[in-house]
Amino acid sequence: MGSGFLRRVFALIKKEFITTWKDPKSRSIIVFLPLMQLIIFANAATMEVKNIDMAVLDRDKSVESRELISRYESSPRFRHIYYMDTEVELQEKMDNQEVQIGMYINNDFSNSIKKQNPIEPATLLIIGDGRQTNSSAIATGYASQIIAEYSQEVTQRRGTAIDAIVRNWFNPNAEYQWYVLTIIVAMLSVVVTLILTALSVAREREMGTFDQLIVSPLSSFEILLGKTITPLVIAMGMACLMAAAVTGIFEVPFNGSFPMFMLSMFISLLSIVGVGLFISSIANTQQQAILYVMTFMMPSMLLSGFISPIEDMPEALQYFTYLNPIRFFMKLTRGIFLKGIGIEEVIVNLIPLILIAVLTLTLAAKTFKSKLE
Amino acid sequence: MKVLLALIKKEIKQMLRDSSCIIIAFVLPVISILIYMYGVNLDSNTVTIGIKNDDNNNPEIATLIKSFGHSKYINSAILYTDEELEEAISNSKIKGAVVIPNDFSTKLSRGQNAELLVITDGSEANTANYVQSYITSIANGWLASSKYRTNMSVPIISPEVRFWYNSDQDSHYFIMPGSMATSMTLIGILLTSLVVAREWDRGTMEVLLSTRVRPIYLVLSKYIPYFVLGMASLAFSVFLCIFVFGIPFMGSFLSLFVVSGLFLFACLGIGIMISTLLRNQFQASLVAIGVGFMPGLMLSGMVFPINSMPDILQKLTMFLPPRYYVAFIESEFMAGSVKKIIIENAVFLTILGLLLFAVVLKNTKTRLER
Amino acid sequence: MINAVEIRNLTKKFGDITALDGLSLNIEKGKITGLIGADGAGKTTLSRTIIGLLVPDAGEISVLGFNPATQKNDLIVHIGYMPQKFGLYEDLSVLENLILYADLKDVPHDFDKMLEFTSLTTFQNRLAGDLSGGMKQKLGLACTLLGNPAFLVLDEPSVGVDPISRRDLMRMVREMMGSETTVLWSTAYLDEAHSFDTSVVIDKGKIIYDGIPSALGATAQEFQDKVIELMGGYKEEESQIAKNYRYRAAEVDLTVEADNLAKRYGDFYAVKNNTLKIKKGEIFGLIGPNGAGKSTSFKMMCGLARPTEGTARIMGIDIRTDPERARSNLGYMAQKFSLYGTLTVEENLEFFGAAYGIGILDRGKRIDDIMEIFSLKEYADQKSEDLPLGLKQRLSMACALIHNPPILFLDEPTSGVDVRMRRGFWNHITSLAKKGVTVMVTTHFMDEAEYCDRISLFYHGETIAIGTPAELKEKAGATTMEDAFINLIKESEKQ
Repeated sequence: MGSGFLRRVFALIKKEFITTWKDPKSRSIIVFLPLMQLIIFANAATMEVKNIDMAVLDRDKSVESRELISRYESSPRFRHIYYMDTEVELQEKMDNQEVQIGMYINNDFSNSIKKQNPIEPATLLIIGDGRQTNSSAIATGYASQIIAEYSQEVTQRRGTAIDAIVRNWFNPNAEYQWYVLTIIVAMLSVVVTLILTALSVAREREMGTFDQLIVSPLSSFEILLGKTITPLVIAMGMACLMAAAVTGIFEVPFNGSFPMFMLSMFISLLSIVGVGLFISSIANTQQQAILYVMTFMMPSMLLSGFISPIEDMPEALQYFTYLNPIRFFMKLTRGIFLKGIGIEEVIVNLIPLILIAVLTLTLAAKTFKSKLE
Repeated sequence: MKVLLALIKKEIKQMLRDSSCIIIAFVLPVISILIYMYGVNLDSNTVTIGIKNDDNNNPEIATLIKSFGHSKYINSAILYTDEELEEAISNSKIKGAVVIPNDFSTKLSRGQNAELLVITDGSEANTANYVQSYITSIANGWLASSKYRTNMSVPIISPEVRFWYNSDQDSHYFIMPGSMATSMTLIGILLTSLVVAREWDRGTMEVLLSTRVRPIYLVLSKYIPYFVLGMASLAFSVFLCIFVFGIPFMGSFLSLFVVSGLFLFACLGIGIMISTLLRNQFQASLVAIGVGFMPGLMLSGMVFPINSMPDILQKLTMFLPPRYYVAFIESEFMAGSVKKIIIENAVFLTILGLLLFAVVLKNTKTRLER
Repeated sequence: MINAVEIRNLTKKFGDITALDGLSLNIEKGKITGLIGADGAGKTTLSRTIIGLLVPDAGEISVLGFNPATQKNDLIVHIGYMPQKFGLYEDLSVLENLILYADLKDVPHDFDKMLEFTSLTTFQNRLAGDLSGGMKQKLGLACTLLGNPAFLVLDEPSVGVDPISRRDLMRMVREMMGSETTVLWSTAYLDEAHSFDTSVVIDKGKIIYDGIPSALGATAQEFQDKVIELMGGYKEEESQIAKNYRYRAAEVDLTVEADNLAKRYGDFYAVKNNTLKIKKGEIFGLIGPNGAGKSTSFKMMCGLARPTEGTARIMGIDIRTDPERARSNLGYMAQKFSLYGTLTVEENLEFFGAAYGIGILDRGKRIDDIMEIFSLKEYADQKSEDLPLGLKQRLSMACALIHNPPILFLDEPTSGVDVRMRRGFWNHITSLAKKGVTVMVTTHFMDEAEYCDRISLFYHGETIAIGTPAELKEKAGATTMEDAFINLIKESEKQ
């Protein structure tokens, strides 16, 4: 150890920096690609449904039905309203996906409203496009809401009802973008970190330079350290840049403590570096390394709770997600960013990450050596 | 022709000897199908909420609390203090809470509108919306069967909601076909993004360039084998989806395979273009994931509706093959062959594919730069 | 038309570097022309320009009556080109490689003669990646010869090839050649070049000699001396590396020891019963045909490959129990170029200097000195992957020597290095040995084997002869090392 140790490790770190950072193409890919993706995906990933096109078949053609339809026309969520004359036309519009919603108003619509008989209410049919189940469910929800509002206006008998007063903590307007941004920061950091690390040893092996490292006095631990620190620093820098964009461009409030955020980033990325280096240590070629990265990344992203909550998964899969560093990483970025979670909560999520990091890094260091023929 | 055939034969042999090609074509799709089938669920979420009742003296309210407990979408926990509630939300123990104010039953019995305070964890915006709508609908359902129902206002218009093409509203019916699009981007874009780079790395390109090989043959010899691999992988995924997991398929296999072929053609264009332009495996793989896999997940319309995106992004998706393919395959599976959808998407995919092919061909050099 | 190639005032630049500088040259039809020159003189650029892979910036060029810059597709049909790094598909078998290139050249699949000729018949179903270096070169040449091209352009085909295989390569070309066939053969082996019809010496992008080899020197040795003189001469000076070298390591009598080292794959022994005892300050040469197990023994001795049996000691330290400490005494140079391609020359030196623990204060001076010694100064800021082969080798040597190790492991250090540089290099090695450095070296240059104190001849994984160069020559009844090598191998084959 001593000064020789520091010198060797520092030399390795410097070398790693030069190889990944000096090429202007690589540099711009590392910096701009994630930033671009962040901006694009944040704007694209919305659970809100906007610009809904609707086809209406109005058999009633009454004042009431026209009034109802005009509410759709003035709603900001709806874009075009097409008036259909026949069922066949309606069917065709739906089939061709020119509209997301269809509405069928019976010819007794206005009469039923006039009767004001709760036992025989006015009926109408809202048709959702089941090919896009979740967004059409949301769209039909909006459509029903407009009807409910109109219904309340035309109902003469008033009575009691339950009003929900909603308070969305940490995100007053329940903006989906806030949620998705914190997730994307984690996701993109994972992608870049994994590729950076997974290729690093595999590339050296392919080029023959790894032999040169092994014969040098650098110990496995020193190699591991050099291979860990550089991508970690690059990934941290990138994550901070993205976090700055999230607060700066998208104006998402940062509620947590900054040191805690940095600590969580550090440990989360360390565990990802561990996974990447482990992958790299078992891969013989860069192509294999990339393949293993995908085999790891695809399931762990889908099972991170981002697309569908972990609580809803089958129990066996839920246990499986405890091995998934991305799960904890996402929870930490979101929690610290939006909720400002406290130290205990942070620690609870850091422990599995630390375990994953220790395990993968140890395995990686072990495999470096045992892979020598 | 003989030259092309020789190159294709070579490429296929290399492919068959490389286990990673086989894994990406046949093992990864199985993993992804299993995950989409069992791990991803977009229809309903089970959420845990807290209930704090400040209207303790009324036995009728106890039935409201009970109805929360009976819902299959909700796990409920009783909370007693504000501090408890705050802590539970902060620690993500619960995704939201409902507070029943002490004048709740009094207001209802007077025929007034009663307020229910719904608190959600807004950091998970989507779940927050679920919490809100579950609570409102359970509370209203309770009201309609409670002793206060006589005071209730009854809506005079009652809409009926139906979902065509997927009356059960099972999200697997559309997300499983969608997952095929993701798997195919992996073969089409990620795998091929390395194939040209590798020939330069290994020095085989210099020899190829010194033979009669024309750029068109060089390009076709990369397209054709990976096209075959991709189609084989697709056939395998289709088989799993329809015959093993029982996803209903209303369309025709002919149009499914034709349009899938066009999609694969466009994806191969992206992958081989990346590989031709960036002869560095690190850069190529980052770009391939950045413009292939991630947009396939985020911008294809599979998870997030394209119609709701800002205009400029909607225009951007016009250049992404997955967008057309996802629209097509979901419709083909669930609504059967709809002529307009098939033709529209097929035409766009063909245009994109040809455009990319032209770019690849133009950038395939027959000389060295240094 | 008596000339296959006619070149007038050819110029090619890469950025600021002028690779070909107003070069003029005629290559006669039906002859073998040897292309000789220092590392980075422009040999590869010239070959690539002749077949149309590179387009010249200025000048006229005509090859077989075609202009390669504009008529590449017409010309290429008549050419067989073998680049330095021949592109064999390592995941295809020998036969599959032949079939592929036959189809690309549209010639019939009639490989029996070719396979027999290259003695690859028994290996035809083996993957090209699993062949030894010499066999790979033979296969590459076989692929190049397919279809009897009228003009063969061979860019250092014999780099890293043992003397027997080298003779085979030469025989292959000569026998396949018709009376009209022209060959341009660039080489670093001057004995090879001496046997050709014409010699062209190129230096800094210009032709400095063009004529019959025997006009320069009647014997290969004289020819070599003359060529060195043409390239600027070599004056033996005191080795600066050795002068600044101070032996600091522990005083051990036997610095490198191998005890019954063996490497087994299944039933097949790649290396068997390898026992060596090398004394401090000794230059120990390992020679043998490609695939004999030299590199494997080499790698086992420095801890890069795990022996199946036996062990090795470096400065008395067991390589199996304390590999890091053992290795810190080593300077290692791998067979294949294995420095960081994206790092510049200076950055590579800096990295290896620091990795071997040279303090920051001394490092600048050491790097400066070593760049001076290996004439790398003018390339200091170039990416090492862009360097020509010979310079890459020089840089590898520099990296192995930078930390003044008491033991040097050099695996074919001079492959592809020009003759003048090789002389200088061996001057440093012999001077270092005098200062107490132990050198373990493999080589395919038999003239270099003469510098060794002792030689071990390796064949089929075993030592078949060991002794001083003189002893080996005597044992084989030969006058040159090359003949001794061939005789001893043949003898062992008979048994």
